[in-house]
Amino acid sequence: MSSRSPSENFRRILGRVVRQDFVGRAGELDRIMAQAEPGNAGRGLLLLMEPSAGVSELLRQAYDEIFNDRTDVIPIYFAITRNETTAVSAAIEFLNTFVQQYIAFRRDEPVVSHAPLTLHDLLELAPPADFEWIEQLVESYNRLRFSNDDKALVRFCLGAPQRIPAGRGRPFVMLDGSQLAEYLNGAVVLGTEILRVFGRGGFSFVLAGLRRQILEAAHDAKCNFELLDTLRLERLDATEAARLVEHVARRQQVGTSEAARDLLVQQFAGSPFFIGIFLQAAREKHTPLLSYLDCERLYVDELFGGHIHRHFADLLEEISPRLDTRHLLIRLLWEAAAGEEQTSSFEVWRKRLHMTGNELEDVLHRLHVQEFVNWDETTVEAGAGPQAWKDYLKIRYRLDVLNEPRALVVADMLADSLKRAPHTMARHYKQIANAGLRDLISRFNCQRVPAVLFDYNTFSNKYKGAESETIVSGLSAETDFFKLPQTVHLASCSAFINDMRQICEEDHCLIAHTFEEGTYSDAQQVIWLAADIESKMEVDVEIARVWLERLENTAGRLGFSRYQIWLISNEGFSAEAATLLVRRKALSSSRQQLGLLASRLGETPLTPVVPSAAPDEFLMVVPMGEDNELIAANTAEQIAKRLTFRPEAINQIKTAIVEACINASEHSFSPDRKIYQRFRVESDRLVITISSRGIVPANLNGAHSGSETKEAAEERRGWGLKLIRTLMDEVEFERVDDGTSLRMTKYLRPQKST
Amino acid sequence: MDTPSGKLVRSHCVGTTAVVYASDYLNKLTGEKIERECRRQLNCGCRALVIDFSDTKLVNSIGVSILLGIIDVAEKSGARIAFSDVNSQTVQLFEMLGLTRHVVLAKDEREALLNLSHFETTPIVH
Repeated sequence: MSSRSPSENFRRILGRVVRQDFVGRAGELDRIMAQAEPGNAGRGLLLLMEPSAGVSELLRQAYDEIFNDRTDVIPIYFAITRNETTAVSAAIEFLNTFVQQYIAFRRDEPVVSHAPLTLHDLLELAPPADFEWIEQLVESYNRLRFSNDDKALVRFCLGAPQRIPAGRGRPFVMLDGSQLAEYLNGAVVLGTEILRVFGRGGFSFVLAGLRRQILEAAHDAKCNFELLDTLRLERLDATEAARLVEHVARRQQVGTSEAARDLLVQQFAGSPFFIGIFLQAAREKHTPLLSYLDCERLYVDELFGGHIHRHFADLLEEISPRLDTRHLLIRLLWEAAAGEEQTSSFEVWRKRLHMTGNELEDVLHRLHVQEFVNWDETTVEAGAGPQAWKDYLKIRYRLDVLNEPRALVVADMLADSLKRAPHTMARHYKQIANAGLRDLISRFNCQRVPAVLFDYNTFSNKYKGAESETIVSGLSAETDFFKLPQTVHLASCSAFINDMRQICEEDHCLIAHTFEEGTYSDAQQVIWLAADIESKMEVDVEIARVWLERLENTAGRLGFSRYQIWLISNEGFSAEAATLLVRRKALSSSRQQLGLLASRLGETPLTPVVPSAAPDEFLMVVPMGEDNELIAANTAEQIAKRLTFRPEAINQIKTAIVEACINASEHSFSPDRKIYQRFRVESDRLVITISSRGIVPANLNGAHSGSETKEAAEERRGWGLKLIRTLMDEVEFERVDDGTSLRMTKYLRPQKST
Repeated sequence: MDTPSGKLVRSHCVGTTAVVYASDYLNKLTGEKIERECRRQLNCGCRALVIDFSDTKLVNSIGVSILLGIIDVAEKSGARIAFSDVNSQTVQLFEMLGLTRHVVLAKDEREALLNLSHFETTPIVH
């Protein structure tokens, strides 16, 4: 098979996007292409798909790649659609598609692949070398078609690829939408028949379907699992999903901003399906997606009557075709999801839905396959599914069950979505910031590291304020070592104890199952409970004690007999707190110690500087940290000198910029770790805007923390904004969706004395 | 202004008074270095501290916060502290943030040492 770099002669056949615009599934496409290699002849690949993960374009791209490769592999792509009502009609459609795509490939005429042709038309188009066997195939089909043996007809149609004579190529069948096959009418269960025929057909195939359904179907069909491979198809990670948004938006000619792009990625949890239909809706409605408000307005429109609405409405109708039952189901699903107790028994569901056991089993099976509920035969857990599903359920409940006015529900949903958006992004930014800890613990593998990296008090006494070279050489000379255990399992604390969600972000508190010396015995098993405490200052003894007791309590509740507590804080711990931690045998580290530990276990990349400029306006982007605020301050100094500001005023501007940069670095959980600076020169003033992406600090814009017993030291660290307001003539926070943008103005003739 | 991260903190002793020199930019990193040096000098028996700002062009709020911490540490150790050769912009900053209430400001190192010399000869009574 040739490499996948698209050439000038590459023809787009079934793919809906050009190869360059197909992003996010490169690995999966490689895997499918590998399945078509001779070494995998006769093997099947089950694509186990998370709902809304999107698979159709992946298979269509694979079809185009194989078609263009012109080897002996003949690609066949067939999608079962909701238009098919019976197994027989779907199987006949498959036969037609197979013959059509076979002839298209043999004639090397892509247009034949999707032209509206009957079997009779296709026979006319068959190459002379293939005419005879295709004619026989069509005749056999016509005989069986009127034989009243549906099962035989279905098997015949599905088995058509086996009839390609030797030497005319190897069929590679890709079947999309197999989840629909299970529910077609008639006596034949198409899903099972597909697996049975394909599994024994001797040709390679890919079968894509929902992960909870397809494995069950393979078991039902008694497939030979030695001839089956699996590939899990999940949602895209944030980077790939952002690329997808950019590509689709460009293709659909929808304007987007970085903030809106990232919100869509998080709101749809990287689902290519939702991202695709949402941007399609934006194009149809000529709506640019530049702000959170743009995104949420369209989102609410979509929930109430757009593509998202139709998607969930269709699914609900399939799951529960009768309207009265559907209303009861919506009510039950929403009340169970919104209530505190999300798990209830099968019997409770049966009574509330007024269904027989068999009817309810069918409904629950469908809900379970779509991952809207988790059903284990006896209990049903609601509250699962993507955010869009939960929002859809909520509005249907309020409209259909509570009969609330539509305008009220629309307004509430819009307001709720807008309020949720910053929280969604904040959660994401905090996850990024804490990904380092998760990654670090996952890399524990019996390495020996200086013990001082886990003892803040000793580290502080020895190294606080020391040169980095001094610290590094000091650590190299350390003789007291700590041998890390081997981490075998790592998860968020909230995955073990739900209450922890109320206390801290998911990745702030982690539980690692480890073994000392990599020896798997009870005696060597130690559970690490690590918590990253949010604090700008050294953590005091009260907070340290609270966390210590919280984690000890967690260990007790979970029955951990041997455990190790490790507390981390940005600036470490006060002397009293550190003493307490040592006494209670807990480990303690500052962010600096964490960085040093990380550098011993692997490196982390730095962000480059990206400066740019324009007349009367100077733009500059600097990475956070490394005293880079000085670069900004010195730039401002040069610009201010041109405007003949007095030296005293220049120093005030510089100090204000330094403070603004420090604020941006300290508060924002910035995803890109960059500070954006704009210096605008006007005849009588210099306007400086310092922006960063990330979380909006709660204490900005006049919001008060509410804490009466705030430490004096912590108050000192809130001086930045106070200083800026004193040093500059005008200070204003500009409204931005994502992060902060501080605009500061200094007049040549100051309007107020400083 | 150079990035000061790579520089060491200069200091010397005059009797039992330590003179510690701040660098051109006083921020978290350089502030902690000064703090470390001041603690070291106090642990070595110094009874008074002079922090000299003759090289200092810019101070940020974290730097000021650390200076307040040094003042606390000095007070707890029974030591006196003076700042010398602080430029007018930095004095303005110290005034804004209330630092000047807790520390003696001297024109230069000599004046600071003179101010502290009386204290140096006074015995401490516990």
